[in-house]
Formats: sequence, C-alpha cells, structure tokens
Amino acid sequence: MGKLSNLPKIYLAVVFLILYTPIFYLIYYSFNSGGGMSNFESFTLEHYQAVFQDTRLLIIVMNTVIIALLSALLSTTIGVIGALAIYFMRNKSMRQTILSLNNILIVSPDVIIGASFLILFTLIGVKLGFASVLISHIAFSIPIVVIMVLPKLQEMSTTLVDAALDLGASRKDVLTRVVLPYIKPGIFAGFFLALTYSLDDFAVTFFVTGNGFSTLSVEIYSMARTGITLTINALSGLIFVITMVLVLGYYMIGSRKVDQGVKR
Amino acid sequence: MKGLVSGAAAILLVSFALLFTNYQLEHKAGGAGKDTITVYNWGEYIDPDLLKQFEEREGIKVIYETFDSNEGMMGKIEQGGTSYDLSVPSEYAVQMMEDRELLIPLDFSKIPNIKNIDPYFMNLPFDTDNTYSIPYFWGTLGIAYNPSLLEGQTFESWESLWDASLRQKLILVDSAREVIGVALNSYGYSLNSTSLQQLKEATDKLETMGPNVKAVIGDEVTQLMINNEASVALTWSGQAADMISENEDIDYIVPEEGSNLWFDNIVIPKTAKNIEGAYKFINFMLEPEVAAQNAEYVGYSTPNKEALAFMDEETVTDERFYPNEEARENLEVYENLGLETLGVYNELFLKFKMGLR
Repeated sequence: MGKLSNLPKIYLAVVFLILYTPIFYLIYYSFNSGGGMSNFESFTLEHYQAVFQDTRLLIIVMNTVIIALLSALLSTTIGVIGALAIYFMRNKSMRQTILSLNNILIVSPDVIIGASFLILFTLIGVKLGFASVLISHIAFSIPIVVIMVLPKLQEMSTTLVDAALDLGASRKDVLTRVVLPYIKPGIFAGFFLALTYSLDDFAVTFFVTGNGFSTLSVEIYSMARTGITLTINALSGLIFVITMVLVLGYYMIGSRKVDQGVKR
Repeated sequence: MKGLVSGAAAILLVSFALLFTNYQLEHKAGGAGKDTITVYNWGEYIDPDLLKQFEEREGIKVIYETFDSNEGMMGKIEQGGTSYDLSVPSEYAVQMMEDRELLIPLDFSKIPNIKNIDPYFMNLPFDTDNTYSIPYFWGTLGIAYNPSLLEGQTFESWESLWDASLRQKLILVDSAREVIGVALNSYGYSLNSTSLQQLKEATDKLETMGPNVKAVIGDEVTQLMINNEASVALTWSGQAADMISENEDIDYIVPEEGSNLWFDNIVIPKTAKNIEGAYKFINFMLEPEVAAQNAEYVGYSTPNKEALAFMDEETVTDERFYPNEEARENLEVYENLGLETLGVYNELFLKFKMGLR
C-alpha cells in the first residue's frame, strides 16, 4: 500500500521539476559573469545592477504591469456586467447568439485581433501607444472574464434571488448582497486570468505598440537578432521572486482569514 | 461587495503609484527640453550610453523603440499612427520603403559628418546617390564553424559545404536568397541572377546538399553555436561576431568565390515629426568617436572610416569582419529583383526545404 501512494507523489514531483527547471536554469545563469548561457564562470550580481541602471527597461516593465492591472480591472468590471446581462436575458436565442459571439472572440487568433485593432486605430486616428495597448488588452480580456463568471451565475440557485426579493430586498440589494458575493470567486478568477493574459500577451501588443511605448514581451522579442542579454535573465529572476512573494503573501492572508473564521 | 470595491481601489492606487514613478523616471532620464525624437531600431543595436550623451549634448530627449524584423517595422510605418523620426532598415528594405514612398530624401548639408563614411560604402545599388539612406552597420554572409567539433574541415570554398563529412551537421539560415546564393556563388554566378537556367542549376545542386543539412532556422542558430550544439552554420557576420564573443572556439570565414554584402541603414521615414532633431541624431552617430563606441558595443562592422582609428587595433585588422579591398571585390549587394523573380526564389527555396529528409 505504501508504495502505491508514493507513485502519485513521484509523478507530481517530476511534473513540477519539468515545469520549473527552465526557470531555474535561466535564473542560475543570471549570476554568470561569463556573459552567456553556457560556461558558468563565476558568481556576479552585475546583471542585477544592470537591470536597475537601465531606466528604459524599468519603464517598460512598469508599463507592462500598469497595463496588466488596469486592463484586468476594467475588463473584469465590464465582463461581470456583461455576464449578468447575459444571465438575466429573457430571450433565449438572443442569449445564445451573444454567448457565441463572446466565444468566437476567445477562439479567434491573437494575430487577427491585433491586426484588426491596428487597422481600426489608424483608421479613426488613435495614436499608437499607452491608450491603444490598454484598449486592446481590455477588449481581449472581456470575453475571458465573461466565461469565468457565467458558470458561477448559472450554478447559483434562482431561489436565492426569489427569496431575497420576497424578504423585501430591493433590486440593488439583491445584486450587491446576494449575487455579487455568490459569484465573487468567479470574479477573482476572471481578474487573475485577465491579468496573466495581459502580462504575457505578445501577438496583439506587437501590433498596437508604437511611439516609444512598448511592453516587456515585445521588447524581449526584438532582441532576437542580436541576442538576448543576461540582463533579461536577471529581470526574469526578479519577476519570479516578486511573483513568489505575492503568491505566498496571498496564501498567508487567505489562511489567516480562515483561522479567524473558525475561532468565531 | 465591500471586498470587491476595496480590491478595485487598491489596484487603482497601485497603478497610479506606478504611473507616477514611471513619469518621474522618464523625466529624470530625459534631460531638460521638450524636444524629442523617436528612434526605431533593431533590439540591442545601439550603445544606450550614446543616447544619454546625445540627450545631454543637444537637449533632445530620445524615445527609443525596437523592432525585430524589417517587415514588422515597415508595417508599423506604413500603417501610420506612429511618429518615428528615424529607422534602420536593411538594404532591400530601404528599396521597398522607397518604392512605397515611405522615406524622406536626406539633406546632406545638415549631415556634415557624412564625410566620415568610407566612399566604398556610398552610392550602392539599393540607393544610388544615397538619396534616402546612410549605412549604419555592414557585413557579409559566410560560414561560422567550430573546429573543436569538426575533423579538420576548412571552408575556403563554398564547395566544402557539400563535403560528405558534414553529414547532418550544417545549419542553414531560413532565407531564400541566402541559401540559393550559396549555390549561385559556388558556380560563380551573380547573386542577383534572374536567369531561370542558372537558378535551376543552383537548386539542383542545392538538393544534393540535402543529407548535410541538419536544420534550417533563424536567429536561434547563435545560441546553438555558442552552446556547442552545432558545428557549422551559414550565417551573417554580425551573428558570427556575437557567437565568437561568447565562444572563442568558433571561427568565421567568407569563402573565396564571393558572397553577399549587407547593410543596415539609417533613414528618415515619412512619419517623422522632428526632422531637424533626426538630422542632429544622424550627424551625432556619424562622429568618429561615437561610431567607434557604438561599433565596439554592438560588435558589427562600421562603415565609418574615421571611427576605425578610435577602435581596438585587433578588431579593425580582423579580416574576417573588416575584409581587405581585394576580398571585397567578390562581394555583391542584393538588388531588388522585383516581385516576380523573388517569387521564383521563394518557390525554389520552399521546394528545397520540402525535399529535406
């Protein structure tokens, strides 16, 4: 019996090893004084220094984060409203149509979305830059949020809403005290998914950046011809550590809340 | 509900804090003036220190953006919505941009430092009279190889790529004119050949190279060579220089029959808003000390004759990257062959790739 229960653990360990090895390989070489991703010469922190001296790179990193946060926030807001509208729609065929239109946007390739945004923006005279990137990121994130929130709504028993109304709740109360708290996990899931989609999007962003505004993925990709420097390794290392701290922090806050709940 | 609202507020707060720091950083970096120019260049293709020097000297802030391919860059410029004041296309792209009327003719009276450019690199077929472009970096196409992984093969001639001892070792660059050019060169034909007969002979010969070809790839080849995962590659001198700087075992050679001579060139696209600033920047980049510093940083060959005096003796006498005049005789610049002939090249190349393995 003991052996049998070890197998899943080993499997899990192997999977995680495969997933994390490339990242650690990258970080390992960020400490290489040898300039390349081979022949580890000696330990150095100069690449980390280079990250903080390269203001342009820092600005690009911050642009990426700002775009991700704002686009995730706005698309979550719009997406939740959209999901509610679809859920409460009376006309069934209309609901199906809108849902299909939403799904088409998820399936359609980023390249096409990016190219059509580029054409649209230049047609109506929007200057490529912060605004164009933000708008397109919001646009491609909305369908994802809708798809994350809608199942939560459908799983909610309709009697909950009826009961609230019977007990004298106003429509606003039903929304803010019954529906939204119920679908909160879906909203968070949608937000974080939109956040990650925005952070690592290359295809759409590639088309709509311009006038000196760029995000990290586009910037790194353009280094391909002359070679990616170890500064990028160092930056990846820093981002990895920051994400790890954020996830751990979130986990600790989460578990503390649960503890308090139990005590009460 | 409360949680959602406070969460949203927190996100907004963080975003604005970041925006503010960004604004601060940009201004700290930007020097004084409101004057800006936007430079659109290949990634890692300029010494960032020079941008700072230029900003300090001229009081013009440089907004710097990078691209990864000529086609991507042209698309952005042609589509509009951007205000790039300078760009750096390769020679064939200069011609394409000229055909599509995307360039502004240069006024040489505003670029006195043009005199520093080696006359050999002026008035080339892709832009006769240099109406639109000034060479920024140049190089050749050749063979990068790692003797420590080979059994004493040498590559003085293109023919050596057909040698049976290279079975499954050769890496080709994924580009039609370069690969077909190897066969054309081996026959002593022009790289700009439009004769279907010659092209057919060349591709027939290429097909017999098939068993030697390990892969047909793009920029990844640099990393493969550095990591000793590949031993022979058809590549451009710039990439070869990158390889050599990371892995000293690697060597680079341009076979005797001749090869391609390529250029990346500074141009002012029609999207330019600050043309005066662009001229100042071009003139600055052509100063001997500046060009020398830039060439040392990027590692490619500079066409700036006066800059050579400020560079490492060892670098400028390296005939692999600064071939002497005799060796230059056999180098040929690509001409625009027109859509139809390019189509033939691409089709033949595709057929060659399909026939591999």
